[in-house]
Amino acid sequence: MALPALLVMAIGKGQQPTPVEAAGDVQRAAGGDLRAFERLYRVHVGRIHSLCRRMMGSEEAPELTQDIFVRAWEKIGTFRGESQFGTWLYRLGVNVILTRRSQHAIRRGRMNDDPEALETVPTRPSGSDHRLDFDRAIEKLPDGARQIFVLHDVEGYTHVEIAEMLEITAGTTKAQLHRARMILRRHLEGARQT
Amino acid sequence: MTDRWTDRLSEYVDGQLAAPEREELEAHLGTCAECSAVLEGLRVVVERARTLESAPPADDLWPAIEARLVAARSEMGAGASAGDPDTATAPPPAARRSIVPFFRPAFRFSVSLPQAAAAALLLALLSGGGVWMALRHASGVAGNGVAARPGVTGLIAATGEATTSPRTSPVIDYVAPGATNAQYAGFDPSHYDVAIAELERTMHEHRSELDTSTVRVVEQNLAIIDHAIDQARRALAADPASPYLNGHLAQQLRLKMDLLRRVTDFAGPRG
Repeated sequence: MALPALLVMAIGKGQQPTPVEAAGDVQRAAGGDLRAFERLYRVHVGRIHSLCRRMMGSEEAPELTQDIFVRAWEKIGTFRGESQFGTWLYRLGVNVILTRRSQHAIRRGRMNDDPEALETVPTRPSGSDHRLDFDRAIEKLPDGARQIFVLHDVEGYTHVEIAEMLEITAGTTKAQLHRARMILRRHLEGARQT
Repeated sequence: MTDRWTDRLSEYVDGQLAAPEREELEAHLGTCAECSAVLEGLRVVVERARTLESAPPADDLWPAIEARLVAARSEMGAGASAGDPDTATAPPPAARRSIVPFFRPAFRFSVSLPQAAAAALLLALLSGGGVWMALRHASGVAGNGVAARPGVTGLIAATGEATTSPRTSPVIDYVAPGATNAQYAGFDPSHYDVAIAELERTMHEHRSELDTSTVRVVEQNLAIIDHAIDQARRALAADPASPYLNGHLAQQLRLKMDLLRRVTDFAGPRG
């Protein structure tokens, strides 16, 4: 029943559903068809998991990814087809993540908001994967700046949308975004010099 | 070193500066090598972010997700096909939502009293750990102004998710785990206390109708939940506005009320 992830990836490669097939799967999943929902999962899990990892860190990403798909199964009947299913799913995923982050912030009492936090990131070894290194650097950003950086620069949300999601002003999101970019810039320059 | 333009460079990269400011900044860039270097660095960061690739998790998560969905379906009594996901056709999730909201404790309808008691024990222990964590960090409650904000209602509404407005009614009858604990900040536990007192009275009236082993299990579990409630109340005395602690207390009270209801339901029909 369960296939190892790499095998699934290999099988799935080149088998992206057409929009019509995807719409059919959404409809079938809304009717309770788990196999159709699994196909939707296969298509979208990479982006959802990456979103979770960047927003919440590698450790929590698998469980959070599960939660998002379970929530999507529960809510798929509310999907009206006015947007792409992927857009709806990512939006729902962001909801779940932000709710979790709020709970974490309350539970932990403080967030990792140390502006020098990134300074502790080990310097990238020569020859390592630049993209992987950049992804890890994002995970080390102070929480508020990271959240906004991922939503804006990676996921493409506007400042207005992010401000609405987080119930802050667009001015704050701009300031936090700039802060994140400046930290990452310093990190990349530091890595370049080693 | 920074100058007055440094903090505007991101807006410039994003094309968000008004024409007069943009022109002034561009003139500045012609004379400031440092700002030019920062600008170039910011552009590299933005480009890197745009070209990041998605990667699936190292392990396939579908089996675990499927197990959760099948279990939920089974608990809802979706029919004999529940165990066979290949052929199963459950009611549409939209329809099921009205039957069992997401995260509602499924044992409410489908497990025995001892199982409910065991579940209550487990929840109380797990939640007690949360209080311990909260107490550990109580002195450092400062938080990040962005991430610690409880409200995400605008976005939730945008996706059609059920929103849970802060309760204005004096009776909190359901602690939705998907809701933020902040929504329970300052809730009045006395309404739970009244309901619990009534249920306890009913339970004691029917105590003789239950077998002794059941009574023992129930009382052990109630003692553990009471301990968790006591811990939460003590923690709240030190930090009355804590959304987490208020939410935790509400959960424990609800847990106790659910267990008492099951006991009284169990005893009632036999009496």
